[in-house]
Amino acid sequence: MSKPLPSASGHFRRSYADEFRLIETRLAKTSAAAFALVLLVFPFAVSPFYVDLATQVFLAAIGALALMLLTGIAGQISLGHAGLLAAGAFTTGILYKEFGAPFWVTLPSAALAGALLGVVFGLPSLRLRGLYLAVSTLALHFLVVYLGGEYETRRGFSTGILVDPPVVFGYEIYAPRVWYFVLLAAAALTLLICINLMRSRSGRAWRAIHSNETVAEALGIGIARYKLLAFVITSAITAMAGALFAYYRGFVSIEAFSLYLTIQYVAMIIIGGMGSLLGALLGALFVTLFPYVIEGAMAALPGADRLAGSVFAVNYAAFGIVMILFLVFEPQGLVGIWRRVRNYFLLWPFRQTALGERP
Amino acid sequence: MAELEVSGLVLRFGGLTVLENVSLSVEPGELFALIGPNGAGKTSVFNCISGIYRPSQGRVRFRGRDITGLPPHAIARAGLARTFQHGELFRDMSVVDNLLTGRHARFTTGPLAEALFLPSVRRQELEHREAVERIIEFVELERYRHAPVGGLPFGIQKLAGFARALAMEPKFLLLDEPSAGLNRDEREDLARFLLRIKHELGLAMIWIEHDMQMVADLADRLQVLDYGRTIALGTPGEVLNDPAVINAYLGVAE
Repeated sequence: MSKPLPSASGHFRRSYADEFRLIETRLAKTSAAAFALVLLVFPFAVSPFYVDLATQVFLAAIGALALMLLTGIAGQISLGHAGLLAAGAFTTGILYKEFGAPFWVTLPSAALAGALLGVVFGLPSLRLRGLYLAVSTLALHFLVVYLGGEYETRRGFSTGILVDPPVVFGYEIYAPRVWYFVLLAAAALTLLICINLMRSRSGRAWRAIHSNETVAEALGIGIARYKLLAFVITSAITAMAGALFAYYRGFVSIEAFSLYLTIQYVAMIIIGGMGSLLGALLGALFVTLFPYVIEGAMAALPGADRLAGSVFAVNYAAFGIVMILFLVFEPQGLVGIWRRVRNYFLLWPFRQTALGERP
Repeated sequence: MAELEVSGLVLRFGGLTVLENVSLSVEPGELFALIGPNGAGKTSVFNCISGIYRPSQGRVRFRGRDITGLPPHAIARAGLARTFQHGELFRDMSVVDNLLTGRHARFTTGPLAEALFLPSVRRQELEHREAVERIIEFVELERYRHAPVGGLPFGIQKLAGFARALAMEPKFLLLDEPSAGLNRDEREDLARFLLRIKHELGLAMIWIEHDMQMVADLADRLQVLDYGRTIALGTPGEVLNDPAVINAYLGVAE
């Protein structure tokens, strides 16, 4: 993806290869290093509660990045995200419970199951668009949830399937801090894969299809192929996130994968900022932490005891209000706010934006 | 042998006949203008050639190969590139990315290699980035290369659309009103680019145009459509003085 240098950065490229570098300026290098250091030290500096919270953010980030590829980049709306997470979690749970399959079997199997579902539920996208496509992907959700529920009741795991911690190279992944690093690495790897796809021809093809299918096809892009590819990649990554979720929680139950979970993932990419990978990360952070912030705020109110019963209701309502506020006032999401702030400081004391860049 | 041959093209939408037996034939290296009043069916001819519409009757042959009814991406891959009346660029993408998208079919990288950004991917990206830069230089868009297209002036967007078609390295160009919306200076630039493409690249082109001065100056031959029918064909000198053409454009003299 060719990107303009931040205006007035004082940095100049010397070759086209410089355009591919992920970290270009010295400022970017320093801040990336500082951020990495914070992430490394974090689990040792805070209580287990916050380690768990961060781990949840990493898991959400994987799912949000995957959904961003499909919806934010390729423009294909999907409401089957919770279904895909469930597919990955149940593939893992069933393979473990029935065959005692190890981690290195369950994870690729989950990816494969996700990819297959992606092909099947991507097919309607060749004919349907927008809301109609959304409804057809909703079928994926109910299918997976139904099958999962059937498995639970028939095998007598009506409360859910217990999954033991995974063993990798004789090492049991169990401690919260270990999970923190495992999921941090998984999220980082997902991010890298997404960045790489975005800066090569698949990413450009997806954005072109999102922008104008007729023109994209007139340029020689096989629309069907790239739509299905987007569904397959997104679904495979999401199902793997579901598998990791199953191991992390040590427990798989269909109750965890309600339609509300799908809404949360859709909210992540909208609130974060459509079409931006950074937006997916910011959205995952925001939506994961949001209920805890609301809960904390309500606990701090006078007469907190009397409010305790309505925490859930307030959470849902506040979440809805935030979604509406973002859609109305900041359609570019958190990433739009970030860009404005960054430009303000980069350009200060001037206020003019760079050529072609929208303010 | 003609480079592109369209024979007996009929296009109907329900009861409406848009094209009625249109034939045209473009020789190698020829700058062939297609003109006619609004609604004459010029863009419909393009849509039939480039596979966006499927003609009700008639054939399209490109270098002897029948391409009628092929999907648009297959026709693009056969070497026919087109531009659009309103530019139709990918607004959120930079000029460079728009042009790289035009080179889509020239990449051979697969999604797995791309996900890992393997050296083969890096090499191809670099190679095509350089090719794109040559086109950017050709159409003099250097200062806009990294700007998101949506924020650029319309004239620049049109030029970028023209550049995107060139970036495909086509064997044949279909230009849909490339000068519409351009100012005098930009039109002169465009004329220069058209002549350079013709003389340096030897590309044959069909060129839909409303600027009769430009057509008279540049086109080798032109064909006039009116209500989906051909009413004249020949050199600019012959056609622009044809009473039937003058009638179609200006109405019949009392």
